[in-house]
Amino acid sequence: MARPVQSVLIVGRDAAAWLTALGLFRAFGPAGVTIRVLELPSILTKADVYATLPSQQALHRLLGIDEADILRVAKGVPVLGQRFANWSGAAPPFLHAYDTQGAPFSGVEFLHYWLRAREEGMNVALEDFSVGAAAAKQGRLAIFGPETATFSRATYGYHFDAQPYVRAVRSLAQRLGIERIEGQFAGAETTRDGIQKVLLVGGESVSADLYVDATGAEAALACRMPTDRFEDWGKCLPCNRMIAATAPRLSQLPGFSQVLAHAGGWIGIYPLQTRTAVQALYDSGVVSDSEMIDALPVLSRLSIEGDAVVSGLRTGIREAWQGNCVAIGGAASMLEPLDATSLHSVHIGISTLVSLFPVDAEKMPEARIYNTSLRGHAENLRDFQLAHYHLNRRFDSPFWNKVRDVPLPPGLASRLALFGARGRVLINDNETFQEENWLSILIGHGLIPRSWDQLAGKMPQAEQIGFFQRMLGFIAKEVSGMPSIEAHMELTAPASAPQSSF
Amino acid sequence: MTNSVKNIVVVGGGTAGWMSAAALSKVMGTSQYTITLVESEQIGTVGVGEATIPMITLFNNVLEINEDDFVRATNATFKLGIEFPDWKKLGHSYFHPFGLLGVDMDGIAFTHFWLRWMKQGGNLDYSKFNAETEAARQRKFMRTAEQKVMLLPRINYAYQFDASLYAQFLRKMAEQRGVRREEGRIVKVNQAPESGMVQSLELDDGRTIRGDFFLDCSGFRGLLIEGVYKAGYHDWSHWLPVNRAVAVPCDMVEPPIPYTRATAREAGWQWRIPLQHRTGNGYVFSDQFVSEDEATMKLMSRLDGKPQAEPRLLKFVTGVRKKSWVKNCVSLGLSNGFLEPLESTSIHLVQVAIAKILAMFPRDGFDERLIERYNAEMHFEYDNVKDFLIAHYHVTERDDTPFWNYVRNMSIPDSLTEKLELFRTRGEVMAKAGELFRETSWFAVLAGQGLMPESYHPVADVISEDDLRLRLSKVRTGITERVNGMPLHKDYLETMAQGASASGPRGQGATFESATPAPAQTTGGFQGLVNR
Repeated sequence: MARPVQSVLIVGRDAAAWLTALGLFRAFGPAGVTIRVLELPSILTKADVYATLPSQQALHRLLGIDEADILRVAKGVPVLGQRFANWSGAAPPFLHAYDTQGAPFSGVEFLHYWLRAREEGMNVALEDFSVGAAAAKQGRLAIFGPETATFSRATYGYHFDAQPYVRAVRSLAQRLGIERIEGQFAGAETTRDGIQKVLLVGGESVSADLYVDATGAEAALACRMPTDRFEDWGKCLPCNRMIAATAPRLSQLPGFSQVLAHAGGWIGIYPLQTRTAVQALYDSGVVSDSEMIDALPVLSRLSIEGDAVVSGLRTGIREAWQGNCVAIGGAASMLEPLDATSLHSVHIGISTLVSLFPVDAEKMPEARIYNTSLRGHAENLRDFQLAHYHLNRRFDSPFWNKVRDVPLPPGLASRLALFGARGRVLINDNETFQEENWLSILIGHGLIPRSWDQLAGKMPQAEQIGFFQRMLGFIAKEVSGMPSIEAHMELTAPASAPQSSF
Repeated sequence: MTNSVKNIVVVGGGTAGWMSAAALSKVMGTSQYTITLVESEQIGTVGVGEATIPMITLFNNVLEINEDDFVRATNATFKLGIEFPDWKKLGHSYFHPFGLLGVDMDGIAFTHFWLRWMKQGGNLDYSKFNAETEAARQRKFMRTAEQKVMLLPRINYAYQFDASLYAQFLRKMAEQRGVRREEGRIVKVNQAPESGMVQSLELDDGRTIRGDFFLDCSGFRGLLIEGVYKAGYHDWSHWLPVNRAVAVPCDMVEPPIPYTRATAREAGWQWRIPLQHRTGNGYVFSDQFVSEDEATMKLMSRLDGKPQAEPRLLKFVTGVRKKSWVKNCVSLGLSNGFLEPLESTSIHLVQVAIAKILAMFPRDGFDERLIERYNAEMHFEYDNVKDFLIAHYHVTERDDTPFWNYVRNMSIPDSLTEKLELFRTRGEVMAKAGELFRETSWFAVLAGQGLMPESYHPVADVISEDDLRLRLSKVRTGITERVNGMPLHKDYLETMAQGASASGPRGQGATFESATPAPAQTTGGFQGLVNR
């Protein structure tokens, strides 16, 4: 008879550790499973930021993290998308908004009407038909009624100041009674079947039925597994260095993060309530640390304050679940922080583990399906990042020429080929980004399908022009009635009350 | 049937006199009526009423005054409201704006929704939901009719102007419309022996001015209303104990700001009214609590610019005539009463009187019922303004001088007690129709003075918490967008002075689009480079 899993030990740090602890506690705490955390020293600095996708809303709801509270405490702001600038020579920036574009008509996707109109001379960007993109550009929060909901799925992710975010999640976990083990991680005793115990400095040890590695890139438990093998993705994802820095708060909070390509990588700009977080990603073979730092204020057009923190980055993947040890987040797969996916990977890890939670502490056949699923997610996310690089139209530097010509994984190659041929987005299993997201970045980067659905040609041209104008008018009207992010933040996360009212 | 009232005589040529003459000549015309204004250059005008409230635009519109001409002619600035520093307590300040607090929803005032949100732990000041306050904070101004953006709140405003220039402006207009101006000092008033009606005025040069209807705009002394008719005076100095004002203009030390400042002082308060070319100042005080000399000295030591003249002292008693209209004589302006300029109501009360006189114009003679009606209505106007003014003094935490101890502890009119109690218990004073100061004004002043309601209207509890926050944030959004789109007041005035119309907004500091590029060599901003 199976011996049920009664205890879980999470070895980890920062958001991955505490989100996982909360997730497992919410799911299995009531069933009597003990969740404990052995926390490793944080690698976060004051400059760090968590940029998240809209799915973070769902994760927070699941974990019982109140939106207004976390925004206030972690100096967070909602963001409706990411704007990509300088990826395509002189082409204007585009917005990857978390929303659909246009509405289908007579069973034909909007994209095809747009392609047809474009062929007929229309010069309106696809993103202009997106409520989310329009709201993001105006710094408004896409909150709307049922009428707009039939047309748009606009929603938002967040930027959080990383250190206070972790403090808030940790303190919630501890308030709920999740035990934080006092002690310093020293290593693990492993056999072929898995971890026997986790060792602490001073000779003590902790054991559990299931171990979770949430230590990030270090993969402190996973790397000790006899079967461990790390598959390096550095050949296709070009950046291997990262700088985190801080700039002053933007005077009007924009509704998006900015992703600026530069000669040796890209810069992410993430507005927060009290400051602006800046990340520079680059290939150390192209740009040195000091060159990058000198260029950062110029490229970001922000004045950089305080310490800038440099770190290495090694992208790649490993088998997440080996024996009785499950790696979650960066310990399982590491991507560039492009597209705000880092906490999403943690989210995927948690929810997949919850649904595949082992029924037998002695034998865990769930590992295989867990690993397939996580690899699928990671590869799809990697392909999304690769698409940005591959579709770049910068011909001004060797870095961009090189990344354009990197051989693509077959899945991505066929995905791009199909889209280029007929505007159809192939959606795989374990896909984070949906059709509208792919559409947004593919069109944004200039991959315009060569043909469109002939059914879109049935509409008389005058009627189509009217159809487009109504849609644009509707979007403009809807968006002008939405609250600004600035105002939303003042009300959701108000600063302390002033002494005077004038 | 012939009109029995054909000759109208305005006594006195100050602000009230010329406002009356200009309005009557525009509305009644001078073809069927003769309008004569008697004034003496030997008698100065008081002209303290340099600040106004928005209703003045209605008056100017009736007169078909071009606003830009008027602003240029009177050295006017725009006024979004009044700042009240040190009234609640020393070091505190609040703003009483023209215009609305938020947007009324579901049939109740916005303030109830704000109060609910506040009780739940929100702490964004109510003033953040008023566009005029936000614009005043940033010293911005714009006439919103010039910008065709829908859905944004409008900007309500009045003016701060040179009252003597305004009188000159109106005089020119009135004379063009046929008003006769007679220069001379009135030495004798002749009454009809039986009826007691005023028949004529004798001037110092021996001329006689005959009239059927007399408007007494002679100032504090009330030449006809008191001098002839002994109408009597409701003395309100128990509640409004200030009885002196010392006034002096000074040089500007900064571009004019779009609001008046009324700073509480040890025995009254000090006004600061920015005009285009100078700053008007004055200390309104009670000589029971500070001597005239000391008050003058204090005022002179608290000017922010070089004084442009010798300080001028005015004496008054707060209150109102028991009757504003007696027989064929109506008093307007200072001759009818004085409620001190704290809320800039002097010119407004003249305007109200003019509107009522026009509405009840005695074409065929003087009907006692009409006169009673007029007197009752005017009394109502003064009485409500009085209560509003008293609230400024009485609702306070200040206990640092005998004056403030007096006003904080004095007995107040029952009508005001009722309002304060209503406000305390349910967040509204339930102002009656026809009262000049509406809920928004009461809220701004009472909350500003430190009286925060304990509860609010139950309708505000009906919506969900998310909906509440959404509604509040939409209101706040409209306000910030409105204000972001406004130019600075000084730039707006400059553009107007050049004869052009409104200008656009100026830059706002760092955004994605307009971030100041930092030059490459200024990486000194880095404290250092550290490894993770």
